[in-house]
Amino acid sequence: MEITSSDPLSWLACAIFLAGAPLYTGIVNKLKARMSGRFGASVFQPYYELWRLAQKETVYSTSAGFISRIAPVIVWCTVAFTVLLLPLGRPAALSFSCDFILFAYLLALGRFFQILAALDSAASLEGMGASREARFAVFAEPIFFFTIGSLALITQRYSFEKILDGITWSNPLFVVFISIGLLSLFFLMMAECSRMPVDDPNTHLELTMIHEVMILDASGIDLMLYQYAASLKLLLYATLAALLLNPFGVLGTTGLLVFGATLLGMAAGLALVETLMARFRLVLVPQFLLFATAIGVLNILIFTFSHKS
Amino acid sequence: MLVLFIIGLLLHGITLVLPALVRDSRRLNVAANLLNAVALLCGLTFSLSALLDYHRADYRIELPSVPSVLIGFDGLSLFFLFTFQLLSLAASLYAIGYLRPYIERGLSIRAHISFFTLLILAMQLVAVVHHALVFLIVWELMAIGGYFSIVLEKDKEEVRRGGFWYFVATHAGVLLLYVCFLTLHEITGSWNFEDFARHAVYDPKALAVVLLTGLAGFGIKAGFMPFHAWLPNAHSAAPTHVSALLSAINIKAGIYGMARLMMILPALNAAYGWGLLAVSLVSAVLGVWYALAQHDIKRLLAYHSVENIGIIGVGLSIAWLGRCYAMPELVLLGFAGALLHTLNHAIFKGLLFFGAGNVYLQAHTGDIEKMGGFARVIPLTAITFLIGAISICGLPPFNGFVSEFIIYKSFFFAGTQLHDSGHSVVRDYAPLVMLFSAVGLAFMGGLAVACFTKLYGIVFLGANRSGDAPVPQSENGWSSASLVGLAGLCAVLGIFPQTGLRLVAPALGELADGAQAPADWSAPLGQLQIVFALFLALVVAVYAVKFWLQCRIGVRVRETWGCGYEAVTPRMQYTASGFAEELVKLGRPMLNLAVHWKPLRDIMPAASEFRSHCHDRMENGWLAFNNAMGRMLGAFRWIQSGNIRHYVVYLFGAILFYLLCALIWK
Repeated sequence: MEITSSDPLSWLACAIFLAGAPLYTGIVNKLKARMSGRFGASVFQPYYELWRLAQKETVYSTSAGFISRIAPVIVWCTVAFTVLLLPLGRPAALSFSCDFILFAYLLALGRFFQILAALDSAASLEGMGASREARFAVFAEPIFFFTIGSLALITQRYSFEKILDGITWSNPLFVVFISIGLLSLFFLMMAECSRMPVDDPNTHLELTMIHEVMILDASGIDLMLYQYAASLKLLLYATLAALLLNPFGVLGTTGLLVFGATLLGMAAGLALVETLMARFRLVLVPQFLLFATAIGVLNILIFTFSHKS
Repeated sequence: MLVLFIIGLLLHGITLVLPALVRDSRRLNVAANLLNAVALLCGLTFSLSALLDYHRADYRIELPSVPSVLIGFDGLSLFFLFTFQLLSLAASLYAIGYLRPYIERGLSIRAHISFFTLLILAMQLVAVVHHALVFLIVWELMAIGGYFSIVLEKDKEEVRRGGFWYFVATHAGVLLLYVCFLTLHEITGSWNFEDFARHAVYDPKALAVVLLTGLAGFGIKAGFMPFHAWLPNAHSAAPTHVSALLSAINIKAGIYGMARLMMILPALNAAYGWGLLAVSLVSAVLGVWYALAQHDIKRLLAYHSVENIGIIGVGLSIAWLGRCYAMPELVLLGFAGALLHTLNHAIFKGLLFFGAGNVYLQAHTGDIEKMGGFARVIPLTAITFLIGAISICGLPPFNGFVSEFIIYKSFFFAGTQLHDSGHSVVRDYAPLVMLFSAVGLAFMGGLAVACFTKLYGIVFLGANRSGDAPVPQSENGWSSASLVGLAGLCAVLGIFPQTGLRLVAPALGELADGAQAPADWSAPLGQLQIVFALFLALVVAVYAVKFWLQCRIGVRVRETWGCGYEAVTPRMQYTASGFAEELVKLGRPMLNLAVHWKPLRDIMPAASEFRSHCHDRMENGWLAFNNAMGRMLGAFRWIQSGNIRHYVVYLFGAILFYLLCALIWK
């Protein structure tokens, strides 16, 4: 069985994804600005930012070693590589049995290096961010496994692509399951992408941040890679949700429209949450994530026991 | 080829008596360890070639005695023999450099060399002896070798304490093993493992005795919770090359025993599988959680062994369930996951312990709160330790990922396949149990990442917390060779997953229950190297672009920005306890975090300090049990008066008692 796709369309889709990720961040920011009554920057602002950073000189700390130099590359590569596993244009660029495990573990590898890079700068604030990131990841990872794992068990298939094929939309139980599952996935997205109730992407008060404080010492092309990776990650989770909630597939016109609409819906949802809510106190974040896990547990229990009878 | 193995054993025999022949400690150290290394190279050549070109009937030795003693080299034995030899080789090389400072301090290593060799020798024999009685003898030899190797620095209180933990644990285990093997002998009338396997009819009750005592006995050696308490104590007490051996392969002798029992006994009762699954998951999650709370580098690594033993146990339990419910694919996935993780864990745990040893020589303490910035002092150790840390977290593209991938896959396959099985309760609940197990493993993975970013970040990154810039003194050619070798193996076994699968293939081939599995049971492992190659190519390409841009635009090196604060000292960095505190607190009440500090009062506070350490509830439990037993049995102490006349009376009484019994029952 081939695990790499020979269809150029699937690789093209990944390229479009990589190119379009900053745009999605721009859209979220724009929507957020509009909702809170500001005009907001252009949706292309993230591109200007990345371009500006790429032209800047890089400054390293005196205590920074090889970790600070390779971490940005690995963080970006892990996120960019997971895109290949998403079944964007079926078949997925890379698809094999249990590919979602590689998906989760690649992201974990990126996180591993991000945390190390924060500790490499010898600054106490960045250690704080590193500690928080490590702590919240412990609770975030199970959510992913619950959502995708239960889908795998329900459809009895083990790769993203096959799971999507295996969802029977005619069965109302599946519709309920997917909708509730998406709620956990949305929570996961807020945590993993450092969005509002978990982290505040706007603040510059170091004591309260998670992601921003970890990259406090990064500059120039390194910072660009971190920022780019962050916007890739945001689109990654949104796309995962949009793929799951799409009965038509992404190849037809209807499918593409539904897909796009779901992506926009997720962006609007994020912007709405960020407009209406303040950041949680840090001690509440694990509870928030456990709540998302609990939804997943309830969901699979409901499914299992109503499916049986 | 077999002759190479025997030559290896003979060379070990020479090393055993070498301390009596070579007077100079320095020379003895190099000669004995090199001799061991050569012996192990011979052994490795044999076991590797036998594994790669495996024919079942090739190698067996029947020692001429009554009844005959069988030395067998089947797939499982060869696989464990290979693992044991590989790590012993790395440890022998590492020991040359590591023992040098001890010798310079005037510590006698004579006895240590002999017992270390005995440990290596006995472990190899444990893997290949297929005769239960001789197995128990070499098992005890291994325990003795281990104990005396641990207590190298016997003038230190905690070393004696750690050694004693080891001794007690291993003896408690062997008591259970005696029951296990004697029962097997009662049932089958033979001592040979092959006859145990051939014996088809087992009484369920007798089987229960065999399985329970066997799994518990080997489980104590392997360090499953709640029997793990000896591991952190013994491993942190031993000199590094010994703790690496203990953690990487000595506890795997327990896994070998469990795997052997699970292979040869008929799988009639699934309850053992479910029970082992629960114990293993608890070991995995709590092991890493306890590890997170440790500030001593060796104790931390020792707790991680508990975690990894848990992962291996999960694989074994899935295999057992597969045998019980006749699902060949599960048997193969479970056993392959367990065995591969055994090898992988041996490699990266050895690597991490050797790295920790270098750190210890550098810092003269195991307390990681006093370290920092070692990446610049001992760069080679830092890079190889990083590879070990990535591997142990199960992250791609290193070897830990491959075995954890198989375990995950076995969970999902078990979920669906057991769902299709006939048994009604299993059908309804198995998918849920498997899903929750997979999630538990993911949770454990998150904790492992937290734990190793903490360890690596605090020890190797940032600035040195004790203030002075240390002078590199711990790296040397011998230790570097074993570090680089093991790190290379982590990469090879990770990027080319089929290499590892080839090594376990002979053992899997002997599983009768796995014979009907579909040929692609291990998919996609055979093809993952394409994925990893693509990933590495991407990393290299992006790094090249970054490097090119930075060369063009320029790079500057400046002090870390202290948010406007001028008097920044390295002590202001995040500490290990600070990094882990919140997660450890969440682990209450299982983790008992004790905090000692005087709060700062008044405007001009006096000097204060903060200390925290984590008590292991299970360890305290065993100590309490021990004390209770001591008090209870202390009540009978008067019997042993030390007065010889009393003993004569006892003898007389015993004889009278037997005579009376004989009279009454004829």
